Amino acid sequence: MNYVLQTHQLTKQYGSHAIVSDLNMNVKAGDIYGFLGQNGAGKTTTLRMLIGLIRPTSGEFELFQESFHGNRIKALERIGAIIEYPGFYLNLSAVENLEIHRRLMGIGNQESIDEVLTTVGLFDVKKQKVKHYSLGMKQRLGIARALLHRPELLILDEPTNGLDPGAIREVRELFLKLAKQRGITFIISSHLLSEMEQVANRIGIIHKGRLLEEIDDKTLQQKTRRFLEMKVDDDQRAAYVLEQKLKVTDYQVAGTGILRIYECLDQTDLVNKTLTDQNIGVKEIVLSRENLEDYFLKLTGGDKLA
Amino acid sequence: MLNVVYAEIIKLKHTKIYWLILVALIPVCLWSLMAVSPKVGPDGTIVPLDLQELFYRQGMIVTILGPLLFSLMTGYVVAREYQERTINQLFSYPVSRVSFLFVKLLVVWILISITSILSFLIVVSSTLFVIHQLDLTTVLLGLKMNLLICVLSFGTIPVAAAISMVWKSVIPTAVLGGGVSLIAAICELGHSMDVILFPWLTPYWPVRDLAQGLAEMGPNPYVIPALVILIVTFVVSLGFCIFYYTRADVHSGT
Repeated sequence: MNYVLQTHQLTKQYGSHAIVSDLNMNVKAGDIYGFLGQNGAGKTTTLRMLIGLIRPTSGEFELFQESFHGNRIKALERIGAIIEYPGFYLNLSAVENLEIHRRLMGIGNQESIDEVLTTVGLFDVKKQKVKHYSLGMKQRLGIARALLHRPELLILDEPTNGLDPGAIREVRELFLKLAKQRGITFIISSHLLSEMEQVANRIGIIHKGRLLEEIDDKTLQQKTRRFLEMKVDDDQRAAYVLEQKLKVTDYQVAGTGILRIYECLDQTDLVNKTLTDQNIGVKEIVLSRENLEDYFLKLTGGDKLA
Repeated sequence: MLNVVYAEIIKLKHTKIYWLILVALIPVCLWSLMAVSPKVGPDGTIVPLDLQELFYRQGMIVTILGPLLFSLMTGYVVAREYQERTINQLFSYPVSRVSFLFVKLLVVWILISITSILSFLIVVSSTLFVIHQLDLTTVLLGLKMNLLICVLSFGTIPVAAAISMVWKSVIPTAVLGGGVSLIAAICELGHSMDVILFPWLTPYWPVRDLAQGLAEMGPNPYVIPALVILIVTFVVSLGFCIFYYTRADVHSGT
């Protein structure tokens, strides 16, 4: 298996407080790896360790199948990253900031600056000083910078922070395009489940510093159950009727007037008829599937994402 | 490595750091203007322009303002990476952290040199403007003094760099520089030979050598111990900077 990143028992502790514990993370070439967890779960600390900004207390990791320790410079040539906040020299324009990056990465081709600025839609404001940019524009410029040296691995910490919904969609499409066209591997941290669901093909769930599970999208599909979600006017009576008449036992009350039935999935008409025959008003029946949020809640024991 | 130097220089574009150089040059210009204006001696004759005296005063201005200005320059070059939250990006380049540190110190040295050499040129050009001739021996003395100021002033720069990186702010460095400049002004006006033992005042050694008519004249006996103290200060503070810059974890861009 061609792994771009593998961590082994990676741990970061401050005093007796462990921020990240025994993390074993595996990212394959070409993955869009969603690194999912609540605020404070240890995502940023992990990503900081991966690019050498902080030292692990114990454990180690390999990037491009070579130990990072001792190969830091070589590994960083192949990585693009935005960690936490896209920092720029505010007195300089976008072009000047990227020129600094170009020189420090040792890229010969100056035209590549215009190319990435066009990709992220900042070409027209390239000569404007970055201090006049909005947070969303800075995020996009951060992505442009991370792409400039054509990295094999992009490590992005909450890359859609500050972006409006339209821009989030554009960025998502850009990631998918880059993964497909250039074969770039992504590690994207986020606390937004919906975002991860739409872009990642593998997801690592971190909670209180521990990696609870790594799961690919196919396995996630298999592990998340389908159900009939119904909006009824009396959930207590509806539950009683379903139990008595249809012998349904696998169900849950998901809210006031909302029932989820995990049986009789292909008998929507029968369920509807049984309830209406008992004078229970059925406002809506939808065949649905548990989503990543449900799965996350199951894994973390009900701790919701911030 | 040249790319790292060039990148560091680009970062200073459109910044106010050049105003700091100007702050040092304005008093030098004013002094030069005053010195080149005709003076009448007690016997009523015109006193000729004394180039050596001009260099001496120029050196004093640079060595008094230097601790403040050079500390501010160092503070800005080092601490801005933390204040503008660019340190995450800086340390994720495939360049060693020590290289970044050395390049930053080099840039500070360049700024010190520009300040010193420009003030030297102001003195030379104002003299040329008034008397249309130069005494080459004195010019070389002035040049030597300024070159020594550049080198000796650099001796305490790692101290300012260390303070900037530990506090991640330019303010403590500015306070240090301001305090030292005040001490320098008091000490230099006292003209004592032993003041050069204070590492920030070691650059006063070549300046004082150009002084005329002081009570204590001749070679300064404190040069060797002063240089030893300065070198120890340089080595210890640079060692700390290297250790801190390479070992410290970088959190939240601050």
